[in-house]
Amino acid sequence: MKKFMSVMMAGMMMATMAGCSNGTEQKSGSADSAGKLQIGVVQIMEHTSLDTIRESFLAEMESLGYGEDKVEFDIQNAQGEQTNLSSICKKFVGDNVDMIVAIATPTAQAAAASTSDIPIVFSAVTDPVEAKLVADPEHPDKNLTGTSDAIPVDEVMQLCQKLTPDVKKIGFMYTTSEINSQVTAEKAIQEAEKMGYETQLMTISEVSELQQAAQSLAQNVDAIYVPIDNTIAQAMKVLAQVGLDYKIPIYTGADSMVQDGGFATVGIEYDKLGQQTAKMAKSILEGTPVSEVPVETLDEFGTFINKSTAEAIGVEIPAEIADNATLMGE
Amino acid sequence: MMSMFSFLSSIELGLIYSLMVLGLFLSYRILNIPDLTVDGSFTLGAAVAVSCTLAGHPVLGILAAGAAGAMAGLVTAFLQTKMKIQPILAGIITMTALYSINLMVMDNKANLPITQDESIYYAFGQLVGKNLQGMLLSGLAAALLVIIVVLFLSTPLGLSVRATGDNEDMVRSSSINANFTKSVGLAAANACVSLSGALIAHYNCYAEVRMGIGMVVIGLASLIIGEIVVEIFVKRLTILAGAIAAVVGSVIYRLIIAQALELNFSASSLKLITALIVALAMSYPAIKESRKMAKIRKAGRA
Amino acid sequence: MLEIKNLTKTFYPGTVNEKLAMDHLNLQVNPGDFVTIIGSNGAGKSTLFNLIAGSFFPDEGRIRLDGTDITFLPEYQRARMIGRIFQDPMKGTAPSMTVEENMALSYLRSKQRHFGFGISKKERSFFQEQLARLDLGLEDRLDSPIGLLSGGQRQAITLLMCTMVTPKLLLLDEHTAALDPATAEKVLEITKQVVGDNKITTMMITHNISSALKVGNRTIMMSGGRVILDISGEERSRMTVPQLMERFKKESRQELNNDRMLLSEN
Repeated sequence: MKKFMSVMMAGMMMATMAGCSNGTEQKSGSADSAGKLQIGVVQIMEHTSLDTIRESFLAEMESLGYGEDKVEFDIQNAQGEQTNLSSICKKFVGDNVDMIVAIATPTAQAAAASTSDIPIVFSAVTDPVEAKLVADPEHPDKNLTGTSDAIPVDEVMQLCQKLTPDVKKIGFMYTTSEINSQVTAEKAIQEAEKMGYETQLMTISEVSELQQAAQSLAQNVDAIYVPIDNTIAQAMKVLAQVGLDYKIPIYTGADSMVQDGGFATVGIEYDKLGQQTAKMAKSILEGTPVSEVPVETLDEFGTFINKSTAEAIGVEIPAEIADNATLMGE
Repeated sequence: MMSMFSFLSSIELGLIYSLMVLGLFLSYRILNIPDLTVDGSFTLGAAVAVSCTLAGHPVLGILAAGAAGAMAGLVTAFLQTKMKIQPILAGIITMTALYSINLMVMDNKANLPITQDESIYYAFGQLVGKNLQGMLLSGLAAALLVIIVVLFLSTPLGLSVRATGDNEDMVRSSSINANFTKSVGLAAANACVSLSGALIAHYNCYAEVRMGIGMVVIGLASLIIGEIVVEIFVKRLTILAGAIAAVVGSVIYRLIIAQALELNFSASSLKLITALIVALAMSYPAIKESRKMAKIRKAGRA
Repeated sequence: MLEIKNLTKTFYPGTVNEKLAMDHLNLQVNPGDFVTIIGSNGAGKSTLFNLIAGSFFPDEGRIRLDGTDITFLPEYQRARMIGRIFQDPMKGTAPSMTVEENMALSYLRSKQRHFGFGISKKERSFFQEQLARLDLGLEDRLDSPIGLLSGGQRQAITLLMCTMVTPKLLLLDEHTAALDPATAEKVLEITKQVVGDNKITTMMITHNISSALKVGNRTIMMSGGRVILDISGEERSRMTVPQLMERFKKESRQELNNDRMLLSEN
């Protein structure tokens, strides 16, 4: 038994060495070192959008004067297992951090369940009211506030009218395990129907279903809209190809998706979201009570259009739109 | 070292998940069936508990969660016994179906939260204070379930279930209906798992459709770690010792995770650490054997 | 007690491996009979037991136990009335459960007690009593997991488990064959004692021809799925092993060249 324990300890030591040599952002977790602030940053899993938020948050904090000289950042990742979220948040609370930054909805919920005193700033939560994180986004009632990645679905529909006026029926797609995506898609469907479009919904439960689901949808509609869906975003190239094959425009929720071959979006730039989150964090660290920091969404949304996709599906971009948009895909 | 808060929270979490590990004790140790339904029935428990709570019946929701888990277990049992599908595949089939069912139970939402006022933990907290609500309620639940499981396994039906896992040939040629006992066993196991999911939903105040992913691995690792530890203290693993091992193992597992977080491995290696721990725990019997053999060989040569 | 009419079973019909394992067999076993069954390999002895116990069903024919037609009754339902002990000592008991728990398993089932926890004092002393009669020292080992006991001890316990509540029919499928000669003898003695005390109608397959003639009151010889010899009473008590082998040759027109049977004639 003793030997087994020592083998295990040795194993953990070796892994520690490996881990420490890897992480450039890791700091050894000790108690308050010489009056530095401590901020715990946690996300549910690795993902381009979540990672972008985290990176731009840290960069912005640095430029706002809260870099690594003033703050100890404890960066954790639940690696897709929600059981780890609890453990991580409890660790933050036990370490008495000054603030928790929680990226994604279940992350924020787990943080909320772990503490009602430490301020929690969330990001990438599309509907914080529905997630029961705040009752009133203007006046947060608990210790939570943050940025929502809600996007202006009405503006996307309007872009669709202007760019592709022949579209009569729009297909909508989202992944059933992503609440953000679902919420946005449902809003978009409502908006589209208000504007007189016919709609059809197709959901997938995992990325392997994307190609066939998209193909089946593409046969029946004139355009497809996919909101900020992490699963589909990762496999954007597959969806983009379906759009090209069927010659229909794919409207997306984020600029990265247009970059990867989608057609166009009035959407979210994740690094701007991270920056805005940092600004909110700063004001809380400097003393503003959480109840006076309302939940924010991005105030500006850029229009992004992919030129080569447009060419490939035969859409001409009118000059007045092109002037006010970022063109991608040279 | 980890903070006291982290330490106590790990015990709390370990106690809640111990219900799931007890379920695996029933299916994997007693019945000898590797049951992968767990990933799905765990989430099912959470989904049912949250839905019932939102409809105004939090306590009833816990019971409903257990019942739902039992039904999931019956489905897997049916696939195995009547449709003669291999146990692992039967579990995977049910788990896959449960993804859609869980979504439906959650009103087609991937994430369904409840407020703290709706959570039974906070309601319990009115009685014992906020600091103790987690530990006491979880501890009570774990203790209660251990007692229920041990008592059940001492009834004539429980003995038949144990025999089915121990020597199915014997059972099949006796007057015991092996298909029936397997069904009972799997139903009971998954009911325990669902109860665990229900408690976690109240603890964290939300249910999420992906929350069960990876449960069966965590559960088996916890079970084996618990058995290794308990075997130091008892000569033979009786039913009571085995059930207690499930709880002990679950708590130790959570402590290991908390410690791994303290050592600040790069954030992406947490899963690698978990895999290493699971592998070590599961190969412990083989390691023990080979060390015994080495000792004998050494003595033989001397 | 047991009435078999016209029992027929073919394995793998229509294929290259087709075998007529049971050929319109007729047999009547009276209450209290202790029938020993011998025959070379492939004669159909185990097939007969499997059909009686319900491991599989016949193609033709009828089996009646104490008046009830059990031909197509599922195995576990028949098991309430029919006890069966196999050659493999591992098969009859649950290794990780204790002696006491194993006995409780069969006892509680036959007594139809479905509720209650654990084993009562009365039950425990009953088990001890039963085990003491075996004279194997097992009454002190109620709490040992059965997996730790020897093959002979396990078979003895299996015998007890099958007969604690007297079954209508007891099937012994070469139950001493896997044991060493001394233990086999002991288990056979116990078998005779238990069967005699409770007057259990018993059928025993054995490869030991002299046991076959000495134990019980009737001997059947099988070949090719049929009964070719059925002796009891005077004829049987005067029969010797060589005479039996001659009769066999005459009836089946084959050499009885089964080594196991020849080597064990003592």
